[in-house]
Amino acid sequence: MTSQPLIRLEHATLAYGRNTVLRDITLSIHRGDYVGLVGPNGAGKTTLLRAILGTLLPRTGSRTAQRSDGTPLRFGYVPQRDSIESVLPYTASDVVMMGRYRQIGFLHFPGKKEREMVLHALRQVGMDALAGKVFRDLSGGQKQRVLIARALASEPDVLILDEPTNGMDLASRAAILGLIDALHKQEGLTILMVSHLMDDVVNHVERLAIVERDFFQIGDVAEILTGSQLSALYGVPVKVDHVGGHVVVTVGGSDEPR
Amino acid sequence: MNPVEVLETIFREFPYAVYGSMLVGIACAFLGVHIVAKRVVFLGAVLTQVSVLGLTITFLPFVAIPHTVGALAATLVTVIIISRLLTGKKIPRDAVLGVVFVTSVTARLLIMQKTPRVEVAEVENLLRGDILFVTPELFFLMLAGFAVALAVHLLFFKEFTFVTFDADTAAAQGYRAGVWELVFYLIAGMVISLATHMVGDLFVFGFLVVPAVTAMLLSRSVKWIFLISVFIGVVAPIIGLYTAFLLDVPASPAIVGVASVGLGAAWLWGLAGLTPRRQPH
Repeated sequence: MTSQPLIRLEHATLAYGRNTVLRDITLSIHRGDYVGLVGPNGAGKTTLLRAILGTLLPRTGSRTAQRSDGTPLRFGYVPQRDSIESVLPYTASDVVMMGRYRQIGFLHFPGKKEREMVLHALRQVGMDALAGKVFRDLSGGQKQRVLIARALASEPDVLILDEPTNGMDLASRAAILGLIDALHKQEGLTILMVSHLMDDVVNHVERLAIVERDFFQIGDVAEILTGSQLSALYGVPVKVDHVGGHVVVTVGGSDEPR
Repeated sequence: MNPVEVLETIFREFPYAVYGSMLVGIACAFLGVHIVAKRVVFLGAVLTQVSVLGLTITFLPFVAIPHTVGALAATLVTVIIISRLLTGKKIPRDAVLGVVFVTSVTARLLIMQKTPRVEVAEVENLLRGDILFVTPELFFLMLAGFAVALAVHLLFFKEFTFVTFDADTAAAQGYRAGVWELVFYLIAGMVISLATHMVGDLFVFGFLVVPAVTAMLLSRSVKWIFLISVFIGVVAPIIGLYTAFLLDVPASPAIVGVASVGLGAAWLWGLAGLTPRRQPH
């Protein structure tokens, strides 16, 4: 790609205090990209995510995140839904309204325009009928949709989802991934999806980033996704097959010629 | 005396006790909803002890600062130190609060041994809560403190709500979550410190927890939880003072006792199936 990237990390070292988590990370995300970020648990996915979001500054190297006109990028962040345990009974629409708070600004209050945008965002994820329901009472899949709606309500340049299908049953997983695909294809949204569930990511995204403490690679899915690559990454034999147009990753074999 | 005459007598003889306890009731009940929502209930107990420690320090012969200033300074300095620890993940919140609680109580007991005996009794009075002898100066100071707290909370409700609900996403949207947490704890510390000096630690801790929990048992709307909690903050002190007068018992325990009876009633109300329930999705 030749256009100026929306997000760029160059030779970034990411660390918490004295603990260096990732070294020499270079990546670019362009407008319209659909990128998956995978890696084993504890590999540094969340650290990399924080660097992309700008909540963790690189120890060395650089990070840029801006639009072509130089204005700051707006992120729509969808956290792991289990990280949210609200004591107060906020409704789905209250939660989505939080996505508008930054645009509303200090000392201003949500008005009619904001309420309409909230309803529109809920409609985009098929949750408008449950706008008045208490968020903490919703099912896992419904909560995930509300959190995606909150991210959409912020009118993001980039939608970032952290483990969006974690702990979901098969049907809910398929529905959420279908929704994310539709947001990319129909709305042209730039998306970065983080997951430790390889199958979820590789069958949906266009580019793949694999992260491990001393290893980082980003490229097209076909180019990155090989058995030898994954075997080396996870430390167990991994096989990559193509079944009915879908990529299937299984542990216990290798796709390399014997 | 009939109940109206009793209330008239209380309002006439102890106006600042009535208005003061209602003011503290409202302030703590309002703040309590946020504190319960943030899962730092023990913060109320801890800061009341820190406030009393600051107050105790001012009784030392070589410390020449007003009691209120001492209580406020100790609380705010503690809040600044612990606010980062409370939002961090290294040490559990309850452990942080436990350490501060034990340290404050220990330091107070040791310092009290070095103060003149008559003033030790004065400190003990403050601990029990001397609602009936609230001074106009303290009342207006508390009123100003609560006005500041309320204004900050109303003006920045979006920021406090977002950071409490989901600090990571708030940070991703550009909010400095740590700064907003610090502002919240400073405001809470100020109110708790002034209120403790005015009515004692039992009243303050009781009203930081009981009205908020009662409201949460009774309502499934955030707006109504705040309104019910504040309503309890207004009504419970009046009924409590009336009860104290009638039964000839101390005012603070009577007021907190009335609020606790309300909590019990709300719980029974819920058991009877009269509270709005979770709806199937």
